[in-house]
Amino acid sequence: MAKIELTDVSITFNAHQQKRVSLKEYLVRRLYNRSVNPVMRVHALSNINLTVRDGERIGVIGHNGAGKTTLLKTLAGVYPPTTGTRVVEGKICSLFDITLGFEQEATGWENVLYRSYLQGETPTSIRGKLDGIAQFAELGEFLNTAVRNYSAGMLMRLAFSIATSIDPEVLLVDEVLAVGDLAFQNKAQARMRELMSSSRLMVMVAHDLDAVRRLCTRVIWMTHGQIIMDGSPNEVIDAYVTTVTGKRPVAA
Amino acid sequence: MFRHLSALWTARHFLLALVRLDLRLRYRRSVLGVGWSLLHPIAMTAVFTVVFSQLFGDGNPIGYATFALSGLAVWNFLRDSATLGSKSLAQNESYIRQSPLPYTVYTLRCVLGHLIHACMALLVVVVLLVAWKGDPGPLVGLALALPGLALAVVAAWAVATIGAFVTAFFHDTAHILEVGAQIGFFLTPIMYRRSLLDDRGLGWLVDINPAGMFLAVIRDPLLTGVPTAAGLQQLGYAYLAAAVCTAAAVGLAVAVVAWLHKKVIFHL
Repeated sequence: MAKIELTDVSITFNAHQQKRVSLKEYLVRRLYNRSVNPVMRVHALSNINLTVRDGERIGVIGHNGAGKTTLLKTLAGVYPPTTGTRVVEGKICSLFDITLGFEQEATGWENVLYRSYLQGETPTSIRGKLDGIAQFAELGEFLNTAVRNYSAGMLMRLAFSIATSIDPEVLLVDEVLAVGDLAFQNKAQARMRELMSSSRLMVMVAHDLDAVRRLCTRVIWMTHGQIIMDGSPNEVIDAYVTTVTGKRPVAA
Repeated sequence: MFRHLSALWTARHFLLALVRLDLRLRYRRSVLGVGWSLLHPIAMTAVFTVVFSQLFGDGNPIGYATFALSGLAVWNFLRDSATLGSKSLAQNESYIRQSPLPYTVYTLRCVLGHLIHACMALLVVVVLLVAWKGDPGPLVGLALALPGLALAVVAAWAVATIGAFVTAFFHDTAHILEVGAQIGFFLTPIMYRRSLLDDRGLGWLVDINPAGMFLAVIRDPLLTGVPTAAGLQQLGYAYLAAAVCTAAAVGLAVAVVAWLHKKVIFHL
């Protein structure tokens, strides 16, 4: 049973408009003084209430900076809620920023291990999956060289293969992933479809409204860190398109 | 707190794999391999022994060398854990932005790496002592020093965590700690004996110095070997001081983590 429950979740933090402050400056020049270096209060999410049940496929839409990615990272547990509670049950697979966090000096194989451990695998549980990951990434001998020598595309292949190797119950996806060359893209999309159907629930952030309409059972529209509409895909997407373009949507 | 520790336990494979990687990377291109980590403290010890063994020691070069090397091992461990540990959240930012592991994993990664260096230097000290004294007495000293080393690890982890959290807000923290460590080196009885300060009525400087407390529970028993009854009692007091100091550091670290853990990711 997988479940997501956000109750009254808000994320706020202070950002300094001018620059980062060093301890010396803080002590000597009191740069923290608000008139010199004003503090900007950022409300990334405000009072989000969201319950996602087993089997639901959620699409999150909204303009840039609306808090979609912040919501996803909160669900993943990366951003701790400033207030409110987050309950997520089930093994999470988060597909965002996946090419970050490689140990540049370590080989591809080693990075497979590190990332898998990061995702909660153990040395015994990973043993059976290594071949599958290597096969899917199709990097062959390159797995024995340091990741620092990889091209961006190769890194993406490896990252995607590792990230999708676990059998997730909760799938969190940011944007449509452009993974590698054409051949790999087809494979990756097939893997994504497989994951989407096998995972118990999914939250996807996307700008491709057609994909959202096709893949999701429920859509959330966010603005300024708030959920302003939550309902069936056609209903929410139509309303969104109407507001953004000022036109009635063409029947989908 | 309990949940924090159990989350750390589940991250143990990740943590240990990275510690192993750090160690291997450090020695990969060197002919001496692991010996590299010993080169620096041993070279320092050699210089100290040549220059200071007459001044601060009792004229016996091996006695002074073991004294200086064990002091440097403990000091370098505490210093590197604090200064380099303070940078660990910034250095592991890409993991932090991806995974909800507790942030203390990353400070522990740094502390464990430096612990291994310290252990290698201390091992050299034990071997020197056994060879020099010709009896296994130093092994008793080692047994008495090990709990002290464990306390030092906990304290260093706590300090690294505090430093790393503060660094997220004030990015020059590690630099300030380095300056502090340079001053601390001379205030701490590493190359000179504590009695030198005691004789001049400055013993309190060591009593309030946390590094001095950890030297007293790691280096002193190691060098003494089988202790006398009076020595044992003194060691007991030293352990009490080190334990209080560790508890204070842990308490402060817990408070800092509780206070800042929801904010820190937005400041990295």
